[in-house]
Amino acid sequence: MSDTNEPLVTELDPVIHAQARLRVVSALSVLREDDRITFPQLQESLRMTAGNLSVHLRKLEDAGYVEVTKTHQGRTPATLVRLTRRGRLAFDDYTAALRALLNP
Amino acid sequence: MTPIDDDAPPLNPAESLALIERERRNVGRDLSPDPRVMFWPWGIAWLVGFAFFFLRFGPDGRVFVDMPQWLPLAVLPVLMIVAGIVTGIAGSRVSGRVSGPSNRQGIMYGISWSIAFTGFSILFAQFSQLLPEEKSGLLWAGGMVALTGALHMAGGAVWNDRDLFVLGAWTSLINIVGILIGPGWHSLIVAVAGGGGMIAAGIVGWVRMR
Repeated sequence: MSDTNEPLVTELDPVIHAQARLRVVSALSVLREDDRITFPQLQESLRMTAGNLSVHLRKLEDAGYVEVTKTHQGRTPATLVRLTRRGRLAFDDYTAALRALLNP
Repeated sequence: MTPIDDDAPPLNPAESLALIERERRNVGRDLSPDPRVMFWPWGIAWLVGFAFFFLRFGPDGRVFVDMPQWLPLAVLPVLMIVAGIVTGIAGSRVSGRVSGPSNRQGIMYGISWSIAFTGFSILFAQFSQLLPEEKSGLLWAGGMVALTGALHMAGGAVWNDRDLFVLGAWTSLINIVGILIGPGWHSLIVAVAGGGGMIAAGIVGWVRMR
């Protein structure tokens, strides 16, 4: 690990500070508050396997950053994902921290 | 702070920010319909459909191309129905990917078009027989183009989309100019400037999205 990585580890949110979860949270941040994306669409946009995405969503859910709901769209069951207010705050803080690291 | 698992951390701040931007752009693209698919069918319908009108029902009753009267009267509605089906399918495919307020907004906006156009059609049908053919044509075309312009401006307001608002304002403006110049010219102006405006809107949206 190079020197530039040192401050990252000490200052940044460990829940988001993993490539896969950073991608998931970034993708969800595009949604407007209260909008939910379908699981298959999120998976397709992120080009992740369903299993991998599920694992990371569960970790984000445990941290209270995302909300996963099971519902029905017509007759077909659907899984919907949204970023919680807490998750959005964490994402905003994370990006602000990154910018601060770039332009101290 | 200790990592919560062994998933690889992002490499450095600059790369992380680039990663965030890339994902956001990707998803943004997946969640909004291709502007070309949404605008070009309408642009082509107006360009071709109103050009047929201009060529058959020119200014001061001139006939530039001696085609049967029913042809322009058939071409424009058929092209518009095709455009409606294409954009309807493209829009609903994308809207199924998200559920929530944005989706409801989109559905309400779509329904607004249908109801408003039905209302105008029923109103204009009451006057079609009473007016000379020229004026009746101008009433229909001018009214429908005015409505299209108004709904595009409203869409711009709903989504805070300046490009859509400009398209609506432009459409409204060229419609007024065409109406004032008179029948025949109105068709030409709507074909070139109106249809052209929508094709341009598709290009602008597509360039911004890439």
